Order: sequence, then structure tokens, then C-alpha cells
Amino acid sequence: MNINQIKKDFPIYNQKINGMIPIYMDSACVTLKPNQVIKAINKYYKEFPACAGRSGHTYGRKVTEEINHARKIMQDFIRAKRKEEIVFTRNTTEGINLIANSLNLKSGDTVLTSDKEHNSNLIPFQLLQEKGIIHKIFNFGDIEDFKSKLTEDVKLVSTVFTSNLDGTSQPIEEMIRLAHKDKSLILVDGAQAVPHKEINVKKLDADFLVFSGHKMLGPSGTGVLYGKLHLLEELKPFLVGGDTVKNSTYTGYEPEDIPERFEAGLQNYAGIIGLAEAAEYLKKIGMKNIEKHEYKLNQYISGKLIDMGITLLGDTDPSKRGGIISFNIKGVHHHEVAGILNESSNIMIRSGMHCVHSWFNKHGLDGSARISLYLYNTKEECDILIEEIRKIKKFTE
Amino acid sequence: MICILAMIVFGILGIFSATHRKIALEAFDCVFRRVTLRKCETGLDKRLKSQITGKLMRKNPTVARFTFRHFEGISWFFTVIFIVSIIYTGIGGYNYYLYGNCNGPNEDGFCIFDPLGSNSKVSTAQTEASCSVEPQTKESLSLENVNLESFPKIDQGAENDVVFIGCYACPYTRDSYPTIKKLAERQDVNFIFAHLPVKEDTRFISNILNCINEVDSKKFVEFNDELFSTDVSVLRNEDYLLKVVEKIGLDKEAIRQCSDTERIQNLTRLQISEIQKTGIYGTPTVFINGDVVVGPKPYRVYKRLLK
Repeated sequence: MNINQIKKDFPIYNQKINGMIPIYMDSACVTLKPNQVIKAINKYYKEFPACAGRSGHTYGRKVTEEINHARKIMQDFIRAKRKEEIVFTRNTTEGINLIANSLNLKSGDTVLTSDKEHNSNLIPFQLLQEKGIIHKIFNFGDIEDFKSKLTEDVKLVSTVFTSNLDGTSQPIEEMIRLAHKDKSLILVDGAQAVPHKEINVKKLDADFLVFSGHKMLGPSGTGVLYGKLHLLEELKPFLVGGDTVKNSTYTGYEPEDIPERFEAGLQNYAGIIGLAEAAEYLKKIGMKNIEKHEYKLNQYISGKLIDMGITLLGDTDPSKRGGIISFNIKGVHHHEVAGILNESSNIMIRSGMHCVHSWFNKHGLDGSARISLYLYNTKEECDILIEEIRKIKKFTE
Repeated sequence: MICILAMIVFGILGIFSATHRKIALEAFDCVFRRVTLRKCETGLDKRLKSQITGKLMRKNPTVARFTFRHFEGISWFFTVIFIVSIIYTGIGGYNYYLYGNCNGPNEDGFCIFDPLGSNSKVSTAQTEASCSVEPQTKESLSLENVNLESFPKIDQGAENDVVFIGCYACPYTRDSYPTIKKLAERQDVNFIFAHLPVKEDTRFISNILNCINEVDSKKFVEFNDELFSTDVSVLRNEDYLLKVVEKIGLDKEAIRQCSDTERIQNLTRLQISEIQKTGIYGTPTVFINGDVVVGPKPYRVYKRLLK
């Protein structure tokens, strides 16, 4: 894996801010986009800017063909059985909301989530409480607690694979097994997992898996909901309208086949084509290589930060934290850490509660600074980051 | 503390820019929360602190460290300085409105509202005849013990007394003349014009003026109008002056002869000595009901001193 070669694919690195090349370390939020993806998006707008699945003209046929191809690529990317199991969404949030609102949950049914969920995987179930659905919470990564909460009334477990807060992953395979043993369905929030590790949904056996395109080099406004076909067939779509029906009368309608049934309205065709290109790009580099690269950098940064006496959130073992390092420097507010890094060296990291307010509130913290790495980050960038953090740390000494 | 500073600075900038207005509102929210003993939730304080510290870190980490550690103190310092500056600016503006200068009555220091100092410029009133040992200052300006009887005047029995001391050849007297004339034309003003020939070679104009005043006490206004509106280079030309005398309807020969008399020349000397008793150090100097204004000022400054 030649990082310098990879960097050349990202036009953002041709840019200089205050005479310096930016160091982007906020990939858990949004990743940079390679030329290949930008080109693919442009291709749609330049060559066949039409709609798929409706118009029979040349452009219409071309878009339909490209979207089918993109679906096939995404199927392969997560090793799904069939391409019909791939539903294009706008993002992970939409995927979760789709399941929360389409699954036939009844009053008295329980949904189980962890205590470290992104708001996207928390609020939809809080809203369902108004319909009498019970929402329970287990401690993130704590299998014993998970087992104890996994009672008969649990109809859906909806939990994150890799936390966007600190990068820690849950033993998801075991959790899926336990959920199925309990006859519960399980939805895996793969927003921070799919872009960083090899995923095989057949092997994983998750009922639903959701992830976003913008966190895996793809365009914003793109995402995927994977669902086992027989489960998708049982879902009642909550977003309906254009392209979700085959026929309609004034009193009824005949739903479209799966997966189009869930893709209401004109889709983000350029985005979907770009997302497929991103998946191809990642596949070419190899997800195992990416995971290994991130681990190596994480191990390096974590070691240096721990040596400086900086507190890391989550597991201290970098192998359990993917490409994310969440930390706080005593005496310097996390917003100040991020702000100073940005101003002094163009190092872009995130600070705040990372949309996991509930966990921070529970622990009496007001947030953290978060470094999130990806395939384009280098050891040299990490050295600059560490040196700047060292300087900031000295502010309080 | 930085939020107070930001609120003021961005508040001012916000008048012109929507982007700054947004920050000003954020700063206001932050200040309001602090005043009501709540936490500032906008993060603006931290954002500003990190931006400033980060920029400094690029140049000098030690300075950045110092700034970060003492940010609150530094913010206080700049806030106090800023507030003091605003107060002084306000005082300056107030002074400018009242006295035509930011620094107070008859001050001649730099004024941002009058950067060229055009309201404070004076021609030095050190005549060759004067030989005061002490340099004159604005504090010593007074009409006390000054006999103004012999000077040309418009006495309407009005409640306001305006004494205008100036010289025909001085640029700042000439600048101020239109404004002074507007003042002199008011119904509620008694006006006295005292000519101070700063240069000896213009003393003969005082002689002519005194003669005109003797012949017709109302004609000096027309004479002034002509002399203050003509080119300064012709003022030393007696023939020109006599032509002016003729133009205003007087006998130029009679005036010429009058101006050559010992009596008139003594009167001029006496007038100069009376003017010097005022402690004058520059022209134009205007006394309005006992208050003194030095330099060419806007009309509002003079008007304010009227009863």
C-alpha cells in the first residue's frame, strides 16, 4: 500500500492553506474524495443526466444500467447474497429510520440499543416509545450485560459495530448469534466499520446493516441499507411515492419490487455511481491493508499520547479502536485543542460530543477531541500532529 | 471576557457585514448568559481563544503558551483598553461637536475627525510691534481691561457680543471669514472687528479701515467682504485698496489723506496694543460673550456660545 501514491488521487492535497498542505484527520465524519469518485459523479452529469427505471430512452437506459451495476458492486463489497438486498439510502441515519419505521413493531415490543449509540441509532427508538414500544439500553461491549437485557420481548437489537466516539468495536458476531438465539432481529450500524474493515454480511449473519457513502470516500447524501431479502419483503415502506409502486388506483397501489420499493423519489444517481466507484477504489487497495494501516498509525499516535500522560477514551489497546483516537488534555478544552491544531498546522480533527451526547452526559464529560484516520494519512502527518499536541500539552505545565 | 470584546468589535463590524453580525449575536448570547450566571454555550470564547493561540503557535510557541495561560487576563486588559478608547472616542466626538476639535476648547492636538487640523490652524499673532516677554497661551486670552471702543462695530443693542480678531492677509482668518460673517449678520449679535496686522507692511490697511469707519461706520463690512474675498497678493497694493474704497462708495482721496494722518496712525497703534492685551497668540480669535474660540471653526461651535 503506497500512501504517497494514494495521496496523489486526492485533489485536496494539491491545496495549501497558509502555505501548508492540510492534514485531514476527521474521516469518521466525512472522508476526502479521490479523483476517481469525482470523475464518476461528473460522468453522470456530463454524459447521461437522466433518471433510472422509468424512461426508456438512451440516457434512461444508461442510468438504469449504471445503478444496477452500482448495486452489484455494493453487493460484492459487503458480500451480500443478492443485489436486491442492497437498498440505496441517503445515509446511515435514513437506513436506521427506515427499519425503525418499517419493521412491524407493536406496543410492548422491546428495542435494545447500547449506551454508546450515535443519535441516529437512539432518537428513532425514543420516538417509537410514543407508540408503546419499549427502549432498553445495555452497556456497550459488555456481553454479559447484553445477554441479561436480551429478554424474550426484545424484537430488535440495533447497535453500533464500531463506535464513532472512540473507535472501539463490539464483538458483533457473538452479539448477532445471541440475538438470533433469542429470536431477535439485529440491525448493525456499520457507519464506522464498513469503510475500515472487510465485511462479509453472509458470515456476519446480520439481519440489517447500514452504512454511509460519505465515510468511505463516496459522495455525501449516499448510503446503503442491507437487509436479508426475506426480511425486506416483510417491511412496510414508510417513505412511498415515485418509483416505489408498479401501479396505483385512487384506492390502492401495487408496490414495486425490492429494493426499489424502499427507494422513494428520484434517487441521487450521481452519488450512487460515485459510491460504487469509491467501493471499487477501496476494494482495489484492499480493506485488510486499510485496516492494518490505520491500526499501525493508531498504535503510533496512541503510544505517544499515552507517554505524554494524555487520557484516551475507550480501550487503550489500539487494535480495538480502528482508526479513531478520542482524547482529552487536562486544562485545555477539547474545542481549544481542535481549534489550535487547525490554526497552527492545518490539522483538522473533530471536537465535541460527536453526536453521542447521551454517553457523554452519562459520564459527566462535555466532549473530547477526536482524531480519525484513513488510508491517506501518513506517519509524517502523525509526527506533526504529535508534536503540535505536545506543544499544546505544555500550555498547562 | 473575550466575548465582551467580541460583542463590541463584531457589533461594530456587523453594521456593515452579515457574517460579523452573526458572530456579534453569538457574542451577545455568550455575554448575556454570563451576566445571568449561566454557562456560555456558543463556544465562541473557546473558538477565539484557540484561533488566536493557534496563529501564535505558528510563529512562537512560547508566546502562544503565555497567551493561552493568561488569556483571561489579556482579554480583560484589551477589554479595558477598548472601553477606555471608546470613552475617549466619545469624548473626542463630543469635543469635536462643541469646540471643533477632539481635544477640547482651543486645543490643537491631532483629531481623528479633523485629521488635517483645519479647525485648529492659526496664523501666529506675534506682530513686529509686539514684544511680550512671556509666550502667550490660550489660558491668558481675555477681553478684560481691553478697550474696544475704537474698533469698527455693528451695535444693534443685541444680547450677544462677538469680537472677531483677525488679519486680512492671514490664511486662517480668511478661511473663517464666511462663517464669521454669517454670525455677524444675525439680529441678535453685536459685532466688533479688530484688525491685527500681523505683518508690519499691512498696518496701512488698519489705517484705511479706521478712516472708513470714521466716515461711515457701516461701510467696514463691505470693505471686509472685498478684502477677504480677493487674492491675498493684492492686499499690500495701496492703489487696489483705494479702488475698493471707491467701489464701496467712498471718496478714495479723502480716505488716503486720512490714513496718512498722525491721529489715525496713533489710533491704529493704540488698537494693536489693545488687541495684544487680550493675550492673543493666533488669528483668527473670536470672543463670544467672553468665551474665546481660536482658529477657524464650524458655525455650530460659534452658535453654541450665543445666548
